[in-house]
Order: sequence, then C-alpha cells, then structure tokens
Amino acid sequence: MVNTPSDAEVIGRSLDEPEAFGLVYDRHAATVLRFLGRRVGAEVAEGLLGELFRIAFERRKTFDPSRASALPWLYGIGSNLLLKHRRGEARRLRASARMAADEATDRRAGAKALDARLLFPRVADAIEALPDGEREALLLFAWEDLSYQSVAEALELPIGTVRSRLNRARVQLRELLEPGGENRMRSR
Amino acid sequence: MKPVDLARKLRQEATFEPAVLDRGKAVLMAAIRQEVQPKRGPTIVPQIPYEDVRAALAFLERAFGFREIPTARLVTAGGVIDHAMLEFGAGVIGIGPQGHHGTISPKSGGIVSQYISVYVDDVDAHHQRAVAGGARIAMGLRDYAWGDRPYEAHRTYEALDPEGHRWRFHQLLREMPRSRRDP
Repeated sequence: MVNTPSDAEVIGRSLDEPEAFGLVYDRHAATVLRFLGRRVGAEVAEGLLGELFRIAFERRKTFDPSRASALPWLYGIGSNLLLKHRRGEARRLRASARMAADEATDRRAGAKALDARLLFPRVADAIEALPDGEREALLLFAWEDLSYQSVAEALELPIGTVRSRLNRARVQLRELLEPGGENRMRSR
Repeated sequence: MKPVDLARKLRQEATFEPAVLDRGKAVLMAAIRQEVQPKRGPTIVPQIPYEDVRAALAFLERAFGFREIPTARLVTAGGVIDHAMLEFGAGVIGIGPQGHHGTISPKSGGIVSQYISVYVDDVDAHHQRAVAGGARIAMGLRDYAWGDRPYEAHRTYEALDPEGHRWRFHQLLREMPRSRRDP
C-alpha cells in the first residue's frame, strides 16, 4: 500500500519543489471555498480563493510542521482576508436571517411564527455585535464544525483563549436574545 | 435553543460553478511559476577571462562579496580551474582562463572593451569592502539623478579588479540626490 504524505510532509517538500504545493490546493480548495462562500457569498469567495492559496504558498515556510493537517492554517489565512469584507459579510448574514425567519414562519402559526420572524434578525445582529475575535471563533466553531484545537490553530491562540472567547460569545448571544436583550444591545 | 445552534441556523451555503476551483488553482500555479523561474538562473551570463583564475576567484569573493557556486567549478587533471561561476543576488557570472573562446584579459590585452554593472543594497559599505579587499577605485562614489535605468536615481562607483576589468556598482536611491534636485 502506498503511504499518503501528510500536509506537513507535502509543504515540507514544497520548500525545495514549489510545484508540490499544488497538492495542498487539490486537497483543501473545495472546503476552503465553501467556507469563504458561507461568509461572503459566491462572487467575493471566488476572488478570495486563489488569493488565499497564493498567500499560503508564499508563507509556507512559517507552517508549523508538527501539525499534520494544513486546513486550520488555511482557515486562519482566510479569516484574516475576510476582515476586509466585513460589510459584505454583515449583508449576507442579515439576508440569511430573513431566509431563516421565512422558513420558520412557514412551518408555524400564530404567536410562534411571530417569534421566529423576530428571533433570527436578532441572532444576526447579536453575531454582528460580537468583537471580531469572538465572532471569528464562534463562526469557525459553529459553521465550520472545527474543534477547539483547530480553532486555536487557525487563530494562532492558546486553546484556553479560544474556550474563553467562545464562552463570552455564548453569554453575549444569550443575553442579547433573552427578553429585553434587544434594548440592552441598542443601549451599547 | 442554544446560542451556538441558533448561530448555526444562519449558515447558508453559496453555490459555485465547477470552473471556480480551476480558476483558483490557476492563480496559485502562476505564483508558484513566478518563484520557480528565477531559480532557473538569469538569461544572460557574462563570461570573463583572466590570466590567473584562482586569484580572480579569491578577489571577487573577498572584495566584491560574490559567492562561488561550488557545484559549477570545473578543474583540469592538472588542478587548473577551467571554469567557475559566481553569484551575487540574482546575477551570475562565469570566469575562466583567457584564450578560451577567443577572449583576452585586459592585463594582457592592454584595453578594456566593456564594463559590468552590479546593483547592491548599500554601495558605501560595498565600496569600503572593495577598497579593503584590494580593488583599485577608478571612479569614486557619486550620485546621479538617472543612470543605466531611466528615471532611477542611484549612487555609484567604479572599481578595477587585479587584471583591470572594470566593475560599476550601483545603489538605487528612493529620492533624487539633493545636488540634482535643486539646481
């Protein structure tokens, strides 16, 4: 049986044979593209994809070879790139909230439908109100299903910091979503 | 519902055409090619003749800071260096005994038929090193508002190596030298 080289081995090889880095793309580009698409939509994501891998290629010397998978590292580069697209991200989040509200309303009736109509835009606002570092940790965890360890690798943080950021994000979302929370958010 | 689950409800997939992945890969491969190409070496390599190749090699390393590419050295059975290559930044030269390929050293021929321009980061430091290494200064340090390359101010000097080949060292300047800017 042929042993498949780990990402770390491929990146190590690409230091002398740059073409080898193409394999990192083949392995992870589809996952990274879906991640970018969820955050900023298809059009912007398409432009960012090549850019992200070009940056990764240029920084490949800084990849920590003790990590077997390059994916958290790629997520981290993507998170940085997305910071320049905050407005588009916020727009998409509000649109997603409207869709989620519509969908929930179709399935319910009366007072519950009204709740759903109000709830999702408030979730979107609450996510938007989080500090960048907490929002990023939350979305990597909740949307990308990364483990705490992978979020820590992506954001280059100790795992304890990721844990406390996610806890703070949870607390803030809960506060903003409980009755009266909306007022508290407005008063910020 | 838990906060994280609520956040998850807002996850919305984007849809892409299949060609998007190919276009992204093209961007990456272009970046890779750009890095690979310089490693294939420069497309023009001056070949410089010397009476004493071994002494020239030592001088070029000591005085000018060039580095021999060790794998490129050719030595005859008699121990004479038949050809050697030196690199400096992105540039490469070859040196060899005069007489090969119809060439002659200025030391034997008595004339210099060319000079070679070399771009350095710090021309003052380079000048100091060249003098300490035994170079003869043919033209001292001076500033120019433009030079071999148009519209680029540079600071330069010229040195002769032990056999009389002329070398011109340049440092590109970000600002115009004051002397030329204020007439």
